This record gives sequence, structure tokens and C-alpha cells, in this order.
Amino acid sequence: MDVNEAQLISRCQQGDQEALKEIFNQYHQKVYRIAYGVVRQREEALDIVQEVFIKLFRSIRQFQGKSRFYTYLYRMTMNTAIDHTRKMKKVPSFSMDEEEGFQLSDDAERRPDRILDHKELEARVKWAMDQLSPDQKAVLIFREVEGFSYQEIAEATGSSIGTVMSRLHYGRKKVQELLKDYVEGGR
Amino acid sequence: MRRKASFFVILILLLSPFFGDVAFAQVQVRVRVMEASNVGSGFDSSLRDLHDQLGSLFSFSSYRLLKDEKVSLSLNQSVLLSIPPERSLELTLINQRRVTAEIRVKITRQGRDLLTTLVRLAPGRSVSIGGPKRGEGTIIIALSRLQ
Amino acid sequence: MWKGGGSVKSECSSISKLLEKYFDQEVTPKERSLVEGHLPDCPACRMALDSMQNLRILIKSPVEEAVEKENFPWVWEKIEKGIQRKERLGLWDFLKSWLDVTPLLKRKILIPAVAAAVILILITAPLLFKKTTSYPTLSVVEYVESETYNVMVYELETPQVTVIWLFEGPEEESSTS
Repeated sequence: MDVNEAQLISRCQQGDQEALKEIFNQYHQKVYRIAYGVVRQREEALDIVQEVFIKLFRSIRQFQGKSRFYTYLYRMTMNTAIDHTRKMKKVPSFSMDEEEGFQLSDDAERRPDRILDHKELEARVKWAMDQLSPDQKAVLIFREVEGFSYQEIAEATGSSIGTVMSRLHYGRKKVQELLKDYVEGGR
Repeated sequence: MRRKASFFVILILLLSPFFGDVAFAQVQVRVRVMEASNVGSGFDSSLRDLHDQLGSLFSFSSYRLLKDEKVSLSLNQSVLLSIPPERSLELTLINQRRVTAEIRVKITRQGRDLLTTLVRLAPGRSVSIGGPKRGEGTIIIALSRLQ
Repeated sequence: MWKGGGSVKSECSSISKLLEKYFDQEVTPKERSLVEGHLPDCPACRMALDSMQNLRILIKSPVEEAVEKENFPWVWEKIEKGIQRKERLGLWDFLKSWLDVTPLLKRKILIPAVAAAVILILITAPLLFKKTTSYPTLSVVEYVESETYNVMVYELETPQVTVIWLFEGPEEESSTS
């Protein structure tokens, strides 16, 4: 953490909202990226950004500097985004019968040879990501969207590098399987 | 200068009990997973402190301890445990006050959320989550806050 | 092991275990040269890397597009309002704002300031005792959510018991007394 950031955090811990604003200016895009990576919907992602910075202002006194500030912030963002998806109780557009396996909705089944447009592809990616456990989703987003190293992901998720690699491997494998028509080499 | 400093020190000491929210480093929680059934009889000795509580609510004849772990929870950091049958238990410390700790408890199976609850644990208080079947028994998970 | 659409040659099984680390640029120099020495001769591993790259594009591109076109309208203003709504001028804040009396001290009016402090303590002392003698009476369970189970919460004070009971299905019999 550089000196400026340490001073900002210290001021914020004393209730200085101007310091929070500076932190917001510096980090809001990155927080939005993570939020959008999870929820894939603009309004929800903006709500999450708002919620994260309000939460940050309330809890920043408990930040003791044992981890890097940005991993603390990104962990908070990820937890808030995943809680948000749970609270929103999104109804998936694909049926999810645990015993029979994942099936496409009737509309998609009637058009198997149709070239999916951009929005439908995005919806499919969102659906595939939503099949992951929160831990796998978090690791995948930190890696693929934010480009975090394994060490940074471990710090942001409070787990070991081995656990990160395992979650990343199985998360990628699962999403690859669900999106195999789009990811297999040559497309 | 010294007089000013003394004044503030005395004032802070007098008013220190007003500090409602104190950030402790970690919260210790004991997680015990037991199988309760009416097959046989017996009460695992590690569950003795829960005897009165469980006995007041349930009429099982046998309580067998399957897992006993102590975990340390830090704010917003999740701890994951595997629990029978084929489930995962995730504990996350959400907030901590002087006496109680707010802990989010999540039970998942193959990545799917089965239960999410937020409980407040004070030292000496336990919360039990039970119901899932395992053979002829029923799984009960007891969460206790350690001092 | 990535299968990228085709079968992986048995001789590249050890290299394929490094592919993800290689893709994530987490390999050691020795591992890197092993992988890069193997790739020209192994279409399966190259295809696996392409799959990983395609997956990354699928996951990342929509996010990049969304961030690029977002101007975050009124977000900071909403955050400020949210903070103001949640802020409560608690006793500590009140006292802290009172503590900021250094200008008064500098003006050598310490005695009235000390007198005000004593009066404040005498007024707030009853709150001090009220606050510390009992555990909070908030319920132990804040919320329970489950899309899989029917849930019942038992909360008793004597003995201090809190149980969250999950019913797996309508045919399941409750085992409670």
C-alpha cells in the first residue's frame, strides 16, 4: 500500500467522506467489473457498487492492513455480489432439474441450428457461470476478468493457492463443458 | 500539554464502556456434526454439554459424533467444511459486536445452495441445524461459540 | 486434463497438467520451456489452449464492453445518501464531537470545559449501566433461506436452545418431541 492510499484509508477510518470519495474515484470501475462479472446486468452491478462503498465506509475501521487494501475491497465486492444474486433469487431461463441434468428452455430447443445473437450468447454465458459454486465463480472472475495472479486470488478469497488452482480447474472445466460449442478450438 | 493529555486519557477511560463495536481479531466456533437416531442407545461424551438442550427437544435414543472441528473465523473470510451426507458447510463472519458474532451459515451440495442462515452466537450459546437424513439417522450440526 | 475436442496423446499427459498454469503465466521458466517445446508437435494441447483463450474471451468481453460504455451516473451521490441514511449520531459520536474542544482549551477556559465533561458523565452514567448488564435480546436467528427445505426455527430461553430444523419432503416425519 503506498503512503497516499494509507493516508486515504486512515482518513476514511476517521469518517472522512471526502477520503471515501477519492477511494471511490480510484476503485469504482474495478468494483463494477467484478460486480458485472458476477451478475452480468448493468443496474444490478451499479446497485452492488453503491452497496460496496457504503459497506466499506461502515467497516473500514476493521481493516487492519494485514492484507492489501484492494484484495480486502475486492473480497467485499465479490461477497456482496454473490449475496446479491442469492437475494435476487433469479429464475434461470433454463430448467435446472438436479436429477435429470440441465436442459435448455423450449425456445432454444426449437432453434438448435440458429445462430445465437449477442444477447442470447451473453445469457448463456451468465447461465453457465451461475452453475458454478460461489467459490468457483469468484476464482474464475478474479482470474479471467481481473487477471489476478494465483497469489492475489488466494488473498482475495482467503484460501490457499492449491485451493485456488483446484477451483479454477474445475470451474473452467464445468463452464467449458456447458459452453463447449463456443470454446472448442477453431471458433 | 501534559494536562490536556491527562484530561483526555481520563475521559476516554471513563467513557470506554460506551464502545459498542470492538473489532476483535477472530471468533472461535466449534462445529460438531452428529448422527441422531433411534437405533441403539448412547450419547457421545463429546456432546455432553449439549445433552440438556438436545434432550429437551428431541426423543432420539442415540447421538453419535461424526465430526468435531474448531474453526477460527475472521471478518468476511469463509471457512469451508465437508459434512455428511456429501454436503459442504460454509461459515463466514459477517459482523462482530462486543458479545455476539453474526455468522452466515451456508449448506451446499454440489455447488447448489440448500440453506442459508444468519445466526448470532454469543459465547456459550449454540445453534443446531438438523433434519437431513442419513440412513436410519438424522444429521444435526451444532455450532457453538467458544470463549 | 483439458480435452479440447480431441484425444490427448498419452505422452503429453504431464505437459497437459501444466497447460493451465502456462495459460495463466504461473509457470517457472523450466516449466515454460517444457510446454513451449511440446506445443509445436501437439495439436491437442494447442487446441486446449485455444479453448481456454476462447473461454476467457467469452467471460471477459461482455464485462469490458459494459465498463467501457458505463458513465456511473449519480452513483457517488447515491452512496453519500446511503451513508447519511445509515449514520446515527451515537453516543460516542456525540462525545467525540464534544471532545474537539482544543480551541476552547487554547483559549484557557479549561475549567468550564471540565465542568461540562463531569455533567455529561453524570447524565450518561445510567446508560452505561443499562448497556452493560445484559446480553442483547435480539433473536439468535436473523433469517433463514432455503429453496430446498421447509424450515422451522425453535428458539427457547430455558434451556437456551436454538434449532433450525429442515424438512426434506412432505413424506418425511418430524422426529421432534
